[in-house]
Amino acid sequence: MNFIPKFDPSKVFFEPWATPELIAWNSQVILMGFLVCWASGMVGTFIVVRRMALMGDAISHGILPGIVIAFLTFGSLEVGPMLLGACLAGLACSFSIEWLQQNSPINKDASMAIVFTSFFALGVTLINLQAGHLDLDTDCILYGEIGLTPLAPNFIFGGNDFGNRSLWVMGLICAAIIILVSLFYRQLLLTSFDAILAHSIGWPVKIIHLFLMLLLALSTVASLESVGVILVVAMLVFPSVTASFFFHRLPSILICTFPLGILYTFGGFHLAYWLDCSIAAAMAITASICFILSVIFGPRSYIWKTAKKKPS
Amino acid sequence: MKNWVIVFGGLLISSSFLEAKQIGAAEDLNWLTQAERFIEMKDPSIRKVALGALLMGLSCGLIGSYVVTRRLSLFGDTLSHAVLPGIAVGFIWAGEKDNFSLLIGAGIAGFAGVCCLCLLKKFTRIHEDSSLGIVLSAFYALGICLLTRIQKVGYTDQSGLDSFMFGQVSALSSNDINGLFITLLLISLFIVFNFRQLLVTGFDPQFSKSIGIPNDFLQFVLWMLIAFCVISSLQLVGVILVSAMLVIPAATASLLARRMKTYLVLSSLFGAGAGISGTFFSFLGKSLPAGPLIVLVSALLFLIILFFRPEKGMLFCWLNTRSERSRIIIENTLKAAFQILEQKGFEENEITSLEIMKKRGLSRPEVEKEIQNLTTAGLATKNISPIDQVSLPSQTVMTLTPKGWEYACRMVRNHRLWELYLTNEAEYEPDHVHEDAEKIEHVLGEKTVRQIERLLQNPKTDPHGKLIPSITDIHQGNLPGAS
Amino acid sequence: MKHHDLPIEVHDLTVSYQKKPVLYGVDLEIEEGSFVGILGPNGAGKSTLIKTIMNIIKPNGGYVKIFGDSPKTGIKRIGYIPQKESVDWDFPVTVFDVVLMGRYGYHGWLSRIGKEDRNKASECLEQVNMLAYANRPIGNLSGGQQQRVFLARALAQESAVYLMDEPFAGVDAVTEKTIISILQEMKKAGKTLMVVHHDLASAKEYFDQLLLLNMRKVAYGSVSEVYTHELLQKTYGGKLAVLSEMATEVAKNADT
Repeated sequence: MNFIPKFDPSKVFFEPWATPELIAWNSQVILMGFLVCWASGMVGTFIVVRRMALMGDAISHGILPGIVIAFLTFGSLEVGPMLLGACLAGLACSFSIEWLQQNSPINKDASMAIVFTSFFALGVTLINLQAGHLDLDTDCILYGEIGLTPLAPNFIFGGNDFGNRSLWVMGLICAAIIILVSLFYRQLLLTSFDAILAHSIGWPVKIIHLFLMLLLALSTVASLESVGVILVVAMLVFPSVTASFFFHRLPSILICTFPLGILYTFGGFHLAYWLDCSIAAAMAITASICFILSVIFGPRSYIWKTAKKKPS
Repeated sequence: MKNWVIVFGGLLISSSFLEAKQIGAAEDLNWLTQAERFIEMKDPSIRKVALGALLMGLSCGLIGSYVVTRRLSLFGDTLSHAVLPGIAVGFIWAGEKDNFSLLIGAGIAGFAGVCCLCLLKKFTRIHEDSSLGIVLSAFYALGICLLTRIQKVGYTDQSGLDSFMFGQVSALSSNDINGLFITLLLISLFIVFNFRQLLVTGFDPQFSKSIGIPNDFLQFVLWMLIAFCVISSLQLVGVILVSAMLVIPAATASLLARRMKTYLVLSSLFGAGAGISGTFFSFLGKSLPAGPLIVLVSALLFLIILFFRPEKGMLFCWLNTRSERSRIIIENTLKAAFQILEQKGFEENEITSLEIMKKRGLSRPEVEKEIQNLTTAGLATKNISPIDQVSLPSQTVMTLTPKGWEYACRMVRNHRLWELYLTNEAEYEPDHVHEDAEKIEHVLGEKTVRQIERLLQNPKTDPHGKLIPSITDIHQGNLPGAS
Repeated sequence: MKHHDLPIEVHDLTVSYQKKPVLYGVDLEIEEGSFVGILGPNGAGKSTLIKTIMNIIKPNGGYVKIFGDSPKTGIKRIGYIPQKESVDWDFPVTVFDVVLMGRYGYHGWLSRIGKEDRNKASECLEQVNMLAYANRPIGNLSGGQQQRVFLARALAQESAVYLMDEPFAGVDAVTEKTIISILQEMKKAGKTLMVVHHDLASAKEYFDQLLLLNMRKVAYGSVSEVYTHELLQKTYGGKLAVLSEMATEVAKNADT
């Protein structure tokens, strides 16, 4: 049984880049990987420091019905309606969670579990109802197929061909997120660290929170086609948690998501090429391996510190 | 304000059922006959599925009660994702879809997931939510990786594996039923034999440790049972939604139950109900998976109970505040009537609507309505006064009945007694107590009144020097101060 | 007109939290330059009073005025030192970052933090003897050092009124002395300070005024007037049974 193929470095590392056609194809995949990792890493850093990692998971599940409904109403995979539907569903999801928490005896984690599983179930049911009629690819939304990025139609504007459209969309969203995060960095930092001080300065804490939720929904929706609903949470959590073993300031952690994103993408791409499996899953596995390594060897790791203290 | 979210969700859910019917019709599958087929239960495959859903609902509901009360909901979610690589490995190991090896594999993976969580907690400063996210996504990614690999390698009998994502009722084998049955048996045995211990450890872990209950062991067994429950339910609802079955029925039960025993019973009943009706709905349409529908039904059940449960449900609360509000209005009118009579030195017993309008600062129709309310409650009688010397148009004149008089006295007493209590006992400024007494007078019970009267040694006047009607005045229908 | 200049004026304030009464009909007028200790048993509503003044909790009745303004606008003149437990000490920020946050209120949303702000932050750190730790992550500090960092942030805010919730909890004796001397200096600079405190013995020495609180205001005045056996007995001797029972009733009906 050859379940794990033989590891041949020249095949794994050089074959994908052997011919110009392959380079053209694979560089698009890699670029998509970068953009997805950067966008979710940026938002994810704030999500993690706010102790809302599972909220990210919940929202990424919760947007499914929004996407399906948008798809059913507009009948196409156009980015605009999809984003709108997903953002609305994501906000509805987070509102419902907060509402349940405040107006019923159900505690926070149970209300999260109730809301996002129900939303997800609704989404899956809607997809199945329409299964015969339209070509919304369930597998694509659920598992993501980043390898198929180059198949997206080209972006043609004013008669000029600008190249792959989904790359353009993801690039725009990623750029928007990076710009917004760096513009409103201070607001995001203070509301995450000490909401009371932010409130006393007169900042609208709730609106900033909502803004972050919107960014979360945006990055989740955008990366959905590439990594799928469930692995979005990996891309949200892993970069910042891994970086926190190396750096102790938020800006450094945010910047660290860039090289980590590159690492995850290349690692995942070649791992998937070797094992011939899903690239998104392989990216998440690379991320977990990086995480484990940083837990053991990171300069700010707890294990490391206790070992260093003992001799003295 | 946020109600619309829920309403919207409810509409969506109901519309999805409507859609289901349409699809059934479009595919030449009359949903009525389908429903008949389901209810008759003659078809062995239907029987099998219904039985499976019933067993799953029962066991998820039972163990879910502990998941929810111990705040393990998201832990359950993580566990359900973490078993995926185990299933894949079990499949590779057996070379086919053999339930036993899948179960073992899933069990080991679940156990490994729990171990990872413990390690992260012990060796890092990562918060719990992040570590749950890490374990969930790492294991899930590994599982997806293995599954896609299996597909590529091309095992002969791999079709069953996809079903683990969302469950596939049609592929339910009698082995699966046996598995569900064994799980239910194990869970019930565990709960029956450890009911007290579980109650104590859940409520007060330190105390239970001190009386020699093995907390950690119980916790571990509970985790393993949750894992078993997840694994055996996979065939029905799938990896992603199984955690919903652990949480939603139990959360629904928590809205109603006060004691753990009722909690367990209700939760398992809700689980079973949702299971059966979910499979029923999935039969109506041809392409509908049972898993998501089971979850949707239980979510709908949760919403219904949330809105309509007794005492704290939204509907009940709404009705309650409405009747409360009308009572307060009646009491305020009575009080105004008393004060008007008091101003006139209790010499007449008729009160005109104009006087009430002045006193309460309300418009004429509002006062007319208040008087009407008093009359229907039997607290006053009204008649239209003849046009007298003044150039006023005819107006309503109200006379309090003995019952109304007693009620009015009681309200005034409550108000003045409370003012006195606040100034004398709680040392509030006299100019602050009126507003507060306006609120308290409506909720002050007779028992508390006695208590205050004893504390203040049966006072006669309030801080503003006005008379406080005493209990004997009220019962004899006397005017205060007359006796 | 003098009435309007009061830094903090609380009138007939009633607050309930999760349908339980916490504060009931509290009146309070605090003069500029006061150094007030808030005393009372657990659950007396000390933190709630602070939070209501900060406009974090909405009152069910009564009002708060800050320099004659509503809390919504007046809050900008208040500096706040959080309770130690409410801070996430694993948050990836350094000491300097935290102190710099005190300057955020002086800038628009998009304007940059300038050199003066950095200088001010360093100055405040120097004042609490923490400049040497400026680049340390806040998680690596001792309890007393952590408290001093937040004090430095409050200094950097340059507010007129400071509210502090148990600044001495989990702090060693030496640090407590340091903190109190800094607070004394702030008072001398004309600041108004309100400090939630739980140690009766030291309260007498630390503060100029005392507020005795147990759901209602038991007493407020200078230490010599208020620090009497009888009043303390009243504060710590439990709530008035009837009052708290009725307050519970009202709170239950308040927001259904």
